[in-house]
Amino acid sequence: MGRLGEKFENCAEALKTVDLSVEFKKFRMKNPVMTASGTCGYSDEFDAFLDVKNLGAIVTKGITLEVRPGNEGRRIFETEAGMINRIGLENVGIDAFVSEKLPKLKEKEINFVLNIAGKTIEDYVKLAEICENKGIEAIETNVSCPNVKSGCLEFGTDKNCLYDLISGIREKYKGFLIVKLTPNVTNIEELALAAQNAGADCISAINTLKGLGVELNFNGTNVFKSLVQGGLSGKCVKPVALSMVKRIKEAVSLPIIGLGGISKLQDLLEFVAVGADAVQIGTENFTTPDIAEKLIIELAEFIATQGFKSFNHLKEELRR
Amino acid sequence: MKKNHKGKILNIENIAQDTVKMQFSTNLEEISPGQFVSILVENKTLRRPFSVADFEDSAITVLFKVKGDGTNYLKNLKIGDTVDYLAPLGNKFTLPSNGEKALLIGAGIGIAPMLYLKKELNKKGVENFLISGFKDEREAVEGSDRTVIGGSVLDDIQNLIDEFKPQILYSCGPKIVLQLVCDIAKKNGIRAEIAMEKVMACGIGVCRGCVIKLKKGEEVKNASVCADGPVFNGGEVVWED
Repeated sequence: MGRLGEKFENCAEALKTVDLSVEFKKFRMKNPVMTASGTCGYSDEFDAFLDVKNLGAIVTKGITLEVRPGNEGRRIFETEAGMINRIGLENVGIDAFVSEKLPKLKEKEINFVLNIAGKTIEDYVKLAEICENKGIEAIETNVSCPNVKSGCLEFGTDKNCLYDLISGIREKYKGFLIVKLTPNVTNIEELALAAQNAGADCISAINTLKGLGVELNFNGTNVFKSLVQGGLSGKCVKPVALSMVKRIKEAVSLPIIGLGGISKLQDLLEFVAVGADAVQIGTENFTTPDIAEKLIIELAEFIATQGFKSFNHLKEELRR
Repeated sequence: MKKNHKGKILNIENIAQDTVKMQFSTNLEEISPGQFVSILVENKTLRRPFSVADFEDSAITVLFKVKGDGTNYLKNLKIGDTVDYLAPLGNKFTLPSNGEKALLIGAGIGIAPMLYLKKELNKKGVENFLISGFKDEREAVEGSDRTVIGGSVLDDIQNLIDEFKPQILYSCGPKIVLQLVCDIAKKNGIRAEIAMEKVMACGIGVCRGCVIKLKKGEEVKNASVCADGPVFNGGEVVWED
């Protein structure tokens, strides 16, 4: 336990002094600060900004069975207090992940969660099998992908479809199974329940919101219009994310990883107060690439200064 | 080596219409022509990337056109204000081999990296010529061997190539100019290296937001402007609409 008013020089010192650990049933983290899928790659690039080993965990860029080139055309649009992306799941594919990225993550002793995505249930099940065989400790399932076999409705928007998907993965994968829910639904509770009933270990929420960026340029009477339809993220989505996390908490007993617009300690505390057991930093990694370590230090200082015994103690008090 | 830094503004001035030159202090020991910095802008999600226009005596100089919220914020900074920036980002121009001559083409604010490249070429004794073009006189930035006002910087380029006989073209500017520079290089059987721009989110290659396509042999592959670029071999870029 830390002393009152304690300040830490760096993240390692903060972690040594204050107990920030998070114990899930099958997955342990040094602290509750994770980085969200698609915002930290496979971790290498962040070596220039922080010591990735200090983070609770990183969630890798979403991996599919095959290599994916991603979407054509403009992929990024900045909005007020956020951004829209339509990357289209560009990634190296599971084979290259296993042969190139996985050994590096292991060698660097980085705690990671593999984010998986697919077009069919069979895709996900195959990925789950590979993860099981490779001893990958935790996976996060992106369910915001169109299900090709059912008219391209997203897996995560239909409770039966989500149940079948997660059950399929569960059968092949014994590790820590996180389901990342999409907020683009009317009834988030029934989807959280479907994930729980299908055997998920944890829920992360929220994925991006559907959004449209419109850019208009004029040259005299000529209008140049550019539309970017994609996933909205950043500070502007936080109230939606908080609301979703609270509703999920009231509907299921699974642990929850909260994300959506977190950029400072206050945000993290708010998510924990409404039901999150850990959090992910997403878009803010682009604005402030060392934000994850900064938050860990600030969280440790806050816990020590306020007189809490640990992150768990803080969580209990926040939940009263 | 850490890439997140803070510097103080040493100088900030208008050097042409809606064109600002900003110089800030740095602890970096090296940053090369073609590389860029990504500057934090208050109340904005995305940092703003700028080519290095000069680097000397622990100071980085960038040039920018005042266009949107980000550049409007930056132009109002004062000497002594703090700049939060990521650097060095991206790859570098490859310098020519011994005895080769380089023609540098800057279109509009694309002159920025050309100025730094020219300085380095001069230092290395590489014979070079910088031609730049601007929409009108008020927007013109100094430092070129020839400045074209109005029309296109490329209007008279063939004559210049015939006269100067460069082995390599370097260019930065709008996509349409870069595409033409690559065509001209191909026609003349010389190399082209171009510095490209695209809206970026991370600036370090993780988000895949600023991807273009490169053709290497028969294979077409994605490349991120921020990490694989911003400098590309002109012959490899696949131009999209």
